Amino acid sequence: MAMSIEEVEAAMIAKATKAPKPQLYIKDFYKCDPDRKPREIKNIANKLVSKGTLMFWSSGSTTMYALPSRIKDEEGDEGIN
Amino acid sequence: MGYDPKNPMEGRITDLGPHKYDTMMPPVIIENKGKWLYHEILEPGVLVHVSESGAECYTVRVGSPRLISIEHIREMCDIADAHCEGFLRFTTRNNAEFMTDSKEKCDALIADLKGRGNKFPIGGTGACVTNIVHTQGWVHCHTPATDASGPVKAVMDDLFEYFGSMKLPAQVRIALACCLNMCGAVHASDIALLGVHRKPPMIDNDRITGVCEIPLAISACPLGAVKPAKAINSQGEEVKSVKVNAERCMFCGNCYTMCPAMPLADPDGDGMAILVGGKVANSRSAPKFSKLVVPFLPNTPPRWPETVEVVHRIVHVYAKDARKYERIGEWAERIGWEKFFEKCEIPFTDKSVDDYRLAYDTWRTTAAFKYTSHTDAYTK
Amino acid sequence: MAKHDTPMLDELEKGPWPSFVTDLKRQAETHPDCWDILGQLELSYRDKITHWKHGGIVGVFGYGGGIVGRYSDVPKQFPGVEHFHTVRIAQPSGMYYSSKNLRGLMDLWDKYGSGMTNMHGSTGDMILLGTRTENLEPLFWDLTHDLKQDLGGSGSNLRTPSCCLGESRCEWACYDAQDLCHHLTMHYQDEIHRPAFPYKFKFKFSACANDCVAAIARSDFAVIGTWKDDIQMDQAAVKEYIAGNYPSNAGAHKDGDWGAFDIKKEVIDLCPTECMWMEGDELKIDNSECNRCMHCINVMPRALRPGKEKGATICIGAKAPILDGAQFATMIIPFIKISKESEYEEVIDVIEKIWDWWMEVGKNRERVGETMQRIGLPTFLSVMEVEPIPQHVKEPRSNPYVFWKEEEIPGGWERDVVEFRKKHAA
Repeated sequence: MAMSIEEVEAAMIAKATKAPKPQLYIKDFYKCDPDRKPREIKNIANKLVSKGTLMFWSSGSTTMYALPSRIKDEEGDEGIN
Repeated sequence: MGYDPKNPMEGRITDLGPHKYDTMMPPVIIENKGKWLYHEILEPGVLVHVSESGAECYTVRVGSPRLISIEHIREMCDIADAHCEGFLRFTTRNNAEFMTDSKEKCDALIADLKGRGNKFPIGGTGACVTNIVHTQGWVHCHTPATDASGPVKAVMDDLFEYFGSMKLPAQVRIALACCLNMCGAVHASDIALLGVHRKPPMIDNDRITGVCEIPLAISACPLGAVKPAKAINSQGEEVKSVKVNAERCMFCGNCYTMCPAMPLADPDGDGMAILVGGKVANSRSAPKFSKLVVPFLPNTPPRWPETVEVVHRIVHVYAKDARKYERIGEWAERIGWEKFFEKCEIPFTDKSVDDYRLAYDTWRTTAAFKYTSHTDAYTK
Repeated sequence: MAKHDTPMLDELEKGPWPSFVTDLKRQAETHPDCWDILGQLELSYRDKITHWKHGGIVGVFGYGGGIVGRYSDVPKQFPGVEHFHTVRIAQPSGMYYSSKNLRGLMDLWDKYGSGMTNMHGSTGDMILLGTRTENLEPLFWDLTHDLKQDLGGSGSNLRTPSCCLGESRCEWACYDAQDLCHHLTMHYQDEIHRPAFPYKFKFKFSACANDCVAAIARSDFAVIGTWKDDIQMDQAAVKEYIAGNYPSNAGAHKDGDWGAFDIKKEVIDLCPTECMWMEGDELKIDNSECNRCMHCINVMPRALRPGKEKGATICIGAKAPILDGAQFATMIIPFIKISKESEYEEVIDVIEKIWDWWMEVGKNRERVGETMQRIGLPTFLSVMEVEPIPQHVKEPRSNPYVFWKEEEIPGGWERDVVEFRKKHAA
């Protein structure tokens, strides 16, 4: 039985919640539904970002996904010295 | 009405892409696109393209420091409005180009450009040193091993006569990347200036747990030199950290890219390497990588005299010695790299002998070579 | 009035090349934050080290690219550059601008930014250099609503595609690089703005083998114009070159003391395939031996032109040295028609074949060229459904360690060692 989009989303959120590190590569989500092509998984993950459930985390050269609640906004608006 | 922070999603527009190219091209370009018959460089920096319709497009190419202000760009717009029906373009090497459809307009344009001090030097065509493509350096980047705009300015000042003339054997493409990430992709340039680090990263144990995903930092190292380790921070607490096997470090900075608690920049450790002989075009010979000939020169702001001097020497020896059409890499291959080092008076060191992956490809596996000063110990 | 003393940077106001320091000072008159750019840069010149730190998390909502975060590590001294984020604006194909559009962008940057730019960044975007986090959303709003344009790519996205100026002002263009670039840029807006891949992916389009965007050196997917019939030749123009009436190399050597044009020395002897010769005063080309390197065409643009049946060669997998060494792109598809009528379907098919494979097989932070290297060209060719041909290699391999597949061997690999021993004592 193919997983519904909602089931894949739930699996992604569970993965982002439980993973030892908060930032996940898109590849880490592939296993959430092995039957879907990587580009479909990418579309579902990006949809979750547009809903605000996940967020992008970028090193500048690499972009990853994370649950907003698990990311410390180190630089913040105050900046640090 | 503008952005409303209370309703950030209201009326939001995304994925528009850039303006379509043909909405911003001069009429002579629109009308003759795909119909050009030939071109000629009339004088350094001035080209004419001739269409099968008989139309002509006169282009004036001017240099730019790439790091430019909105005032400078507005001045370019004034020039475009005055002479070019309100259009201009930029080249892949950060020059700007102003186009007109007649010789008269072109002459007026040139006179205008020349009347604006040294802001818009005309040149960058043909067998010249054209603009240096470069990265951000200390003006904006967090990983550089040198500055970009400063050394570029100093080198271009020194080679300025070659920007506005066409007397070299072929074009000389210079590029600068301020660290080994090579945002500038300088690895296929006639002369590449490359910022290099020489000290392994420090570990900031007070911040590493806060700002780093340690597995990412470990996997970032191509040589497996970063390993997980327990460490004590300045509060005396044990924290999860990493240690670096300095012997294996090749100073690429990839760990710092992934982990801000591993800074490696250093005033004495960092400096400039020089690589030469790369090319991109397929003409005559296949594209070539630039080769490391000077492993390190110190960072000496504000004008990097050591770097300027070596580049000057290479360009001048090449200008005298190479044949017409020969790029620096083609010249060096014809005379042999041993002769290149000798003629350019660049000391050869073990740092120019590859000991990284696939190194064997660059070792000499023939008994045919030239005698130079380097072989004196054997022959004299 | 200068806010900081900048004795070292002042040295860079000397000399004939236009000075970014002079320009920054001019801009500082209306954008005082530029004094802090100068001040912090002067400090870097004194300390010989950067004073910018890692970006952190900034961007506009819903986009995973287009903004690169940057903060000063000395914000108390230089509050004007405390936040100094980069905004990448997707450039128009061929980098032609109207002054109206540029003025609009400059007004936008006057309102929200430092006043400094790069025209352009290495990948091709217009770079707006230095703004604060709270300005990003309003800037993006005005950019999309008022100027009707958009951000470029960064991170693990499709990076903003770029091209040479192609047919717009070059007689050598073998396809419409601007149109292909623009079409794919629009077709893949999602991949440009949101992360999609194990790592960055770059498209670059050069309309001939002179490769003015350095596609073969720095793009994962390089489309390089070429032709498949004969070089077009005008013998009357050849005679004009020989007579010295047309300047060789389109005038590129005008200031050198190279003597009269010598067609044998400058064209025939420099042809890498030695496929040209003179018969009387006629130039002959054995086109079946030509490798279309462009040298002769560059030298005699009025006499020689690319053929009429034009298209492109696709090379895949270039990258800068980080980490296992630089790679040029490998020639994969010798000739492909670049067809506007089909909306470039043929090219899109090739791209998506690569992506489907690389997204599955590529490791995190591995460029497609590295994946090709790790998995091997034979496997990559079979993924691409391309038959291996001698053109795929510089020379055949010299090591004999072939990864034969079981189905290629008569009888397969299963054998009975007991049967073997009956004939061969241990």
